[in-house]
Amino acid sequence: MVIAEVPKLASAAEYFFKMGVEGKRFRPTVLLLMATALNVRVPEPLHDGVEDASATELRTRQQCIAEITEMIHVASLLHDDVLDDADTRRGIGSLNFVMGNKLAVLAGDFLLSRACVALASLKNTEVVTLLATVVEHLVTGETMQMTTSSDQRCSMDYYMQKTYYKTASLISNSCKAIALLAGQTAEVAILAFDYGKNLGLAYQLIDDVLDFTGTSASLGKGSLSDIRHGIITAPILFAMEEFPQLRTVVEQGFEDSSNVDIALEYLGKSRGIQKTRELAVKHANLAAAAIDSLPENNDEDVTKSRRALLDLTHRVITRNK
Amino acid sequence: MLIYRGLSRISRISKKTPFGRRWLPSHPLLSGASHSAAAAAADSSVKVLGCREAYSWSLPALHGIRHQIHHQSSSVIEEQLDPFSLVADELSILAKRLRSMVVAEVPKLASAAEYFFKMGVEGKRFRPTVLLLMATALNVRVPEPLHDGVEDALATELRTRQQCIAEITEMIHVASLLHDDVLDDADTRRGIGSLNFVMGNKLAVLAGDFLLSRACVALASLKNTEVVTLLATVVEHLVTGETMQMTTSSDQRCSMDYYMQKTYYKTASLISNSCKAIALLAGQTAEVAILAFDYGKNLGLAYQLIDDVLDFTGTSASLGKGSLSDIRHGIITAPILFAMEEFPQLRTVVEQGFEDSSNVDIALEYLGKSRGIQKTRELAVKHANLAAAAIDSLPENNDEDVTKSRRALLDLTHRVITRNK
Repeated sequence: MVIAEVPKLASAAEYFFKMGVEGKRFRPTVLLLMATALNVRVPEPLHDGVEDASATELRTRQQCIAEITEMIHVASLLHDDVLDDADTRRGIGSLNFVMGNKLAVLAGDFLLSRACVALASLKNTEVVTLLATVVEHLVTGETMQMTTSSDQRCSMDYYMQKTYYKTASLISNSCKAIALLAGQTAEVAILAFDYGKNLGLAYQLIDDVLDFTGTSASLGKGSLSDIRHGIITAPILFAMEEFPQLRTVVEQGFEDSSNVDIALEYLGKSRGIQKTRELAVKHANLAAAAIDSLPENNDEDVTKSRRALLDLTHRVITRNK
Repeated sequence: MLIYRGLSRISRISKKTPFGRRWLPSHPLLSGASHSAAAAAADSSVKVLGCREAYSWSLPALHGIRHQIHHQSSSVIEEQLDPFSLVADELSILAKRLRSMVVAEVPKLASAAEYFFKMGVEGKRFRPTVLLLMATALNVRVPEPLHDGVEDALATELRTRQQCIAEITEMIHVASLLHDDVLDDADTRRGIGSLNFVMGNKLAVLAGDFLLSRACVALASLKNTEVVTLLATVVEHLVTGETMQMTTSSDQRCSMDYYMQKTYYKTASLISNSCKAIALLAGQTAEVAILAFDYGKNLGLAYQLIDDVLDFTGTSASLGKGSLSDIRHGIITAPILFAMEEFPQLRTVVEQGFEDSSNVDIALEYLGKSRGIQKTRELAVKHANLAAAAIDSLPENNDEDVTKSRRALLDLTHRVITRNK
């Protein structure tokens, strides 16, 4: 009903579902694979009456987690895009700015409310808690990014914490939710959580690298959008450890694009990119280890899914776009 | 016991129904409050249900209207029943807990989230008051300390859970306020700078999300999936109502049905569903839960309708002294909708919009000529009566606290109608 009445709202909400960024439907893919890997058969149609009915129902509920996860993710994207007045002074038309903000807030709220109702329908309070905590983490992560002090911006610990909140929490907690719905033990649920968390962190670290390197192995061919927005990511943080002078540049900020060039120079001289890749590999390996620690299972679908999850830990590292 | 109120306000007409009370407003704006009606009240047979019914709003003749007063302590005689003071102590406990529940790691987020929970800015705390009264009215004793071990432990636990509903309700409410202010580009709220104005739109949005997530976590901790569903639905209703308000077509803006639906979503759903949640937590039957729901819903609707009137009349009885903020924002409320029924020409003005303030003046003129204000008040009264009827239908209970709370809830149905600010 609401969608029919509010075409604009629908387009706003759908826009991000259509967006072709890499990692599109990445999360749902992981979650569905996890569901199978934890020994829930994708139910065959027209088979075995009752048994498949409950398997079907479980699968449906787990699919619901995937849907909820996407709604929460997109809602956070929409809300993250809300601009403050300061941004209008950079020449954004005021009407667009106003409508853009309103639509962003409303569409995000719409998605969040749908996610809430869907969560409630699962009738599992632990799952509700997990995913509600994710929303809190997303907000905390975004706020951390917006409001850093100088020391915090230059701190690797702060950065990793922020990255967990902003990127990894959603996928780690939803993996855990998948496990809980499947009635798995707490240990298995933690393994699922660990997989999601380390995969998410690895993903983000490579993302940071690609922002500098783009599709080429060399520096500066990437979009450089992080640094231009004053967002200090892992490669720069590592470079600062080797070259403390870089910190002065960072503190000056990057509105002056000559500072960007200086930073890139330091980055090139440092092992910042390599160290970030190494850290990503470390997390990818931890994710793989979590899958390997899952209780043995000889079912064909289960082993296929687990191999696929392992394959993903490889792909997040080797992707170059 | 008699509670003697300002005579100019209300005279009571009672009908011979089990629900003895009906309010007919004799507000200055409304002529026709009849003293004869009050005289008729003298003959009424007001049944005293289990509640210690002793409202008498009538006039000089106090005779005959006091009836079976179920023995009560003498304290009842002097008591000016103030619903808010009945729960004041509990409310401060809630307020403290609420403040601690919205503490965040990130300092800016913490200040943003706490913004409206600071002392002095908590708003009227109307909703928590209703909910705490409802909890008592549904026969949950406010537990005595150091008594009866197990029994009180259970009562305490239930009470805590119901208080939690009140806290969750406030968090959801404030979250929606924060977002609405961003949507409205509002500068002020509750007499202070709105959060978005003070700290920026983005932080206001994030703080709202944060509160919502805390509410969800608190909700989950109650481990009652029906309650979770109820309050999750509220969140969806709030968004739907706001969307309905922002995106109306011309026909919709001029439709009373659409307006009432939107008002339910935006205002009444929160309180109706949380009242119902209170009942469910108390283990009440579905019928009682529905009565609690009906009370909240009708109270909320009555509240909003009077709110609409006050936006025009302000603290004065006459038109145009109110802030007129609804109409200036192009929000068409009940008085105008009623006026449009009498004066179709008004619709043309409405369709032109109100950015031109001369249109506001024209609309006010039509409104003054019409019975729009009166009809809105009458509709509010109708809903207040429905709310009162719901309380009257609750299962009998002689417990002193229960009857006090039910009286307080009834009193609230009166206050929402008669308030003038």
